[in-house]
Amino acid sequence: MAASKANSMKNTPKPAASVRPKLAQEGFFGRLSYFSARALANLRQNVFVSLVTVATISLALLIGALFLLVYVNLEGLANGWSDKVQITAYFDKEPAPLAVAALKTTVKSIPGTKSVTFISKQEAESRLRARLKGQESLLEGVNADVLPASLEIRLDREHRDNFAVTHYVAALKKVQGISEVQYGEEWVQRFNTFMNFFRLMGLLLGSFLTVAVLFIVSNTIKLTIYARKEELELLSLVGATRFFIKAPFLIEGILQGALGALLSLLALAGCYFAFMHNAGSFLGVNPAGAGLTFLSPLHLAAILGGGVLLGFIGSLTSLRRFINI
Amino acid sequence: MIQLHNVGMSYQPEVAALSDINLKIPKGDFVFLTGQSGAGKSTLLKLLYAELTPSRGQVLIDGQNLTRLSRSQIPLVRRSIGVVFQDYKLLPNRTVLENVAITLEVLGWGQRDIGKKVFHILKRMGLESKLNSTPLRLSGGEQQRVALARALVNDPKILIADEPTGNLDEENKEAILNFFKEANNRGTTVVVATHDRRVIENSHRRVIRLDKGRIVDQGEPSLPGEESAEVPDGSVQG
Ligand SMILES: Nc1ncnc2c1ncn2[C@@H]1O[C@H](COP(=O)(O)OP(=O)(O)OP(=O)(O)O)[C@@H](O)[C@H]1O
Ligand SMILES: [Mg+2]
Repeated sequence: MAASKANSMKNTPKPAASVRPKLAQEGFFGRLSYFSARALANLRQNVFVSLVTVATISLALLIGALFLLVYVNLEGLANGWSDKVQITAYFDKEPAPLAVAALKTTVKSIPGTKSVTFISKQEAESRLRARLKGQESLLEGVNADVLPASLEIRLDREHRDNFAVTHYVAALKKVQGISEVQYGEEWVQRFNTFMNFFRLMGLLLGSFLTVAVLFIVSNTIKLTIYARKEELELLSLVGATRFFIKAPFLIEGILQGALGALLSLLALAGCYFAFMHNAGSFLGVNPAGAGLTFLSPLHLAAILGGGVLLGFIGSLTSLRRFINI
Repeated sequence: MIQLHNVGMSYQPEVAALSDINLKIPKGDFVFLTGQSGAGKSTLLKLLYAELTPSRGQVLIDGQNLTRLSRSQIPLVRRSIGVVFQDYKLLPNRTVLENVAITLEVLGWGQRDIGKKVFHILKRMGLESKLNSTPLRLSGGEQQRVALARALVNDPKILIADEPTGNLDEENKEAILNFFKEANNRGTTVVVATHDRRVIENSHRRVIRLDKGRIVDQGEPSLPGEESAEVPDGSVQG
């Protein structure tokens, strides 16, 4: 077959055309640039459908990102506040120094304990003095005996809601020598219950959203592919490999995903700063003071990566359903 | 060399579009495939470039059995076959130049070489003033020539044309047929499906006649040299 080709070329009128041309696409970057150029040309030719795809991806990511932003901030608040879920166990009598270690070990063995600190009568008194600095007169006549020794206990994050705290306290009361247990404010516990619920909802909603978005994006991309059905068919008929046909679409999907992600991040930043700027006037609090934060660079990168992945997988699945060449 | 052994093709069960096709077309031959509308001409051609796989039998191109090729091998076979489709299949949103370039892009040629080669063939076809038009702005004859340029730009071993003279006037028909002859003179095997009796009669080539999916006349293998005396042809062998 090679012979017939050489023969037929020899007879072509212009010898220039018969020289076998260099393959510009040989090598990874040559091919990549060809496919990218093709992808860009496709984007330009189907501006409307491409914009729909980008908008879909961007909207989906924006919803996800808003959710993430709220979550990250609530989590930040929760971490700060729930440190207040601290349990203090008071002793009738100050335990002997040797017994303290044993007591701490016993308490630590109760599930949910994060840390245990022993506060002796002495320390309790010096804390009190520190707190009443400048009003020492109030403390005249008070000696260390008045204040009881105690254990300050912090709980794991998962054990900071009502139910877990109640359980924990019940277990704590069984420890010998503990006479009274005090624990953090009720609302903090309720908030933590809410946070646990929110995390669960987030997980469910997140997975649901991902599936839905993938479905929508894949179908939107299918529109762009459908618009070029003839082209795919023709490429295949003139001998294009499946990879050659698919590559521009995959690159197109990646570009659309990245563009969608960037747009969603811009919109997110817009929402965030608009909120920060205006919240003061209608909420009556300064949001900056409340410790609100924007997403971390890692989160932003994850959203960008998510967009790229979304575009890529969307293209891939819709191509698979389309091309059986 | 194109060979078909006991080929049968059914689009739907029980309805045969082709049956018992045995056919041999030697390398460098020029044959017409004829028969009434619905006789199976397009179906037979589609089997040759593997757009369809036969329901029964074997199709061999240069000894390669198309029915046994994997999906990744089929593109390689198609690259050595130029096809002018019955409906042209020109891409409406690309220029004439880009439409013809597709054949070479698929092969991985560089832009500059593609440009040269494509310009050269379009010039030969008298289309150099239409390089940047889109196909929809061309006349039927011009579209036909673009489709032919796309099929020939790669100097294929085999040229397949399905009803290439469909709606053309006599002058255009003549021009198209001359391009086929030129390609044939350069060693390309040419297979043309047509029901245009005048085209067939003027050419004095082998004619394969189909009727209701069966070959009713294998035709005489054409005698090289004989026909070129009858039809005026600028580029005779040499
Ligand atoms: N995609 C298809 N699905 C089902 N039947 C088909 C299909 N394509 C063709 N056929 C049937 O197969 C038979 C042969 O069709 P084919 O297109 O090969 O005819 P043809 O000889 O090319 O006709 P024409 O001269 O009109 O182009 C016809 O009966 C047609 O109805
Ligand atoms: Mg037909």
